[in-house]
Amino acid sequence: MSGRSLAMSSHEMHTLPVKQVVFHHDGLKSFVFPRAFDAEPGQFVMLWIPGVDEKPFSVSDVTDGKIEITAKAVGPFSRALMNCKPGDRLGLRGPFGRGFRPRGRGLVVGGGMGIAPLRYLVHRLEQDRASFRIVLGARTAEEMMFVGDFSRLGAQFATDDGTLGRQCLVTSLAERLCEEERFDLIYGCGPEPMLVALKKLADRAGIDCQLSLERHMKCGIGICGSCCVDGSGICICREGPVLDRAELDLVADFGLPHRDATGARKDAPAMA
Amino acid sequence: MSALAIRLAGIAMESPLVLASGVLGTTASSLRRVALAGAGAVTMKSCSLQPRAGHPAPCILPWGGGILNAVGLSNPGAEGAAAEIAEFKRTCPVPLFASIFAGSAEEFGRLAGRIAGAGPDLIEVNVSCPNVQSEFGIPFAADPDACGRVARAVKDAAGSIPVSIKLSAQCASLARMAEACQRNGADAITAINTAGPGMWIDTGTGRPVLSNRVGGVSGPAILPIAVRAVYEIRKAVDLPIIGTGGVSCANDALQLIMAGADAVGIGSAIYGGGIGLFGEINRGLEDFLKEGGYDSIGRVQGLAHREDRP
Repeated sequence: MSGRSLAMSSHEMHTLPVKQVVFHHDGLKSFVFPRAFDAEPGQFVMLWIPGVDEKPFSVSDVTDGKIEITAKAVGPFSRALMNCKPGDRLGLRGPFGRGFRPRGRGLVVGGGMGIAPLRYLVHRLEQDRASFRIVLGARTAEEMMFVGDFSRLGAQFATDDGTLGRQCLVTSLAERLCEEERFDLIYGCGPEPMLVALKKLADRAGIDCQLSLERHMKCGIGICGSCCVDGSGICICREGPVLDRAELDLVADFGLPHRDATGARKDAPAMA
Repeated sequence: MSALAIRLAGIAMESPLVLASGVLGTTASSLRRVALAGAGAVTMKSCSLQPRAGHPAPCILPWGGGILNAVGLSNPGAEGAAAEIAEFKRTCPVPLFASIFAGSAEEFGRLAGRIAGAGPDLIEVNVSCPNVQSEFGIPFAADPDACGRVARAVKDAAGSIPVSIKLSAQCASLARMAEACQRNGADAITAINTAGPGMWIDTGTGRPVLSNRVGGVSGPAILPIAVRAVYEIRKAVDLPIIGTGGVSCANDALQLIMAGADAVGIGSAIYGGGIGLFGEINRGLEDFLKEGGYDSIGRVQGLAHREDRP
């Protein structure tokens, strides 16, 4: 009998300089680092700002040996990130988790910050000459990222205030497309209530879905148990974050209050 | 009865493999998943009276020889943990070990009373966490008298539920620690906790990576320390031992059993092997017993002490 090597060099910390900062608006930026990490669409990296904290970020693009993540200022960590400039050195580990597994004709549905990883997904789908449609929702036109890129691929937009595309929920656009066209798979990333609606849509249409979930993560490697869903108990950081329809059926807290850093259930539903 | 079945402090287990505390152990759902994967018992993450968020990230860092962690004992508090225990016991027949930690013997006793009410099969007493020294000082597991007082307080509060004291390999004499536990009513000993603490410096920035700067060392690097610790404890006392530290295959588990462990904890190896490791190691142990002509795992327990007998 032989021992098992625990070494997984891909999860080592890499300190990398910020190569480029893409400005969307004051509190919404993309950061490019000079290492591809072999990340698949839907996977994430852990980003470390020394002396501040480390947080998971989904990958918004991988091109020519570079990785890009996109962040919005919501707490102390992301506010510190907004101040980072080209040349600043940050720590990255990854890639972690299980991303999207493209197949057949896809309907890509994104909401808010959930749009970021879908940009990498549609670039991959385009490269693979897959057939797909895109619908995206955000509060305002300003909050809608990569509009040019997505428009080029025929995306439809929905905003809460009507400043871009239709003034409706993105799920309404998705429902209409599902009535008009035939899809094999719904890809989704965004606030959990949106994902719950997409799951119901997939159930009604009798097609599969792959939805990216968020839970409180600490280790990223399936050890600490912070991000385990209720029900099946699987780790979002390792078996997820992208779950399919059968896996979602076993998530007892899908759309319900999640757990916080202590492991206790929160009182109010968590929003992505 | 399976060749792997054991009894530990009166608890019937179908396998000697135990999910070690701190890994996938916060919620009833994740514990149940590990139980169904083939663990003979599962241990919860240590809880305290009040909820704790733990240290900021990075708090867990894999490296070539294992894992460095300073999670900082995040837990939902006694009430939250008791609710998870109750839910697990309602839905899963596999034995559940609670784990508790506190700042004083008196507080350990109060916490044990609360947790015992939820009905775990055993209460493990974490007197050896290396990651909260700035808050709680040197662990009780460095001092036999202090450790004995904790064991007594927990035992008095736990009623009929067996109590295991989780020791660190880093003390002047493991034999004296184990004897103090036995003298004060402990029903079992868990050994060892993570070692160190250790530090990992990112050379790109010249900074320690863990937010706590230091963290407990686990994984293959500490297996030989765990084997030696279990061997010493087995020499000193007759209590059942849950041997824990760096096990990632059946051969590792056998080493701890031959050193004198009754059961074997598995934790960090889940990083490399996933929870399928429990089934894999169970099969490896069964194969070993069959090939050696042993009818039960008990036949090889403590085998390494044979040379010392007259």
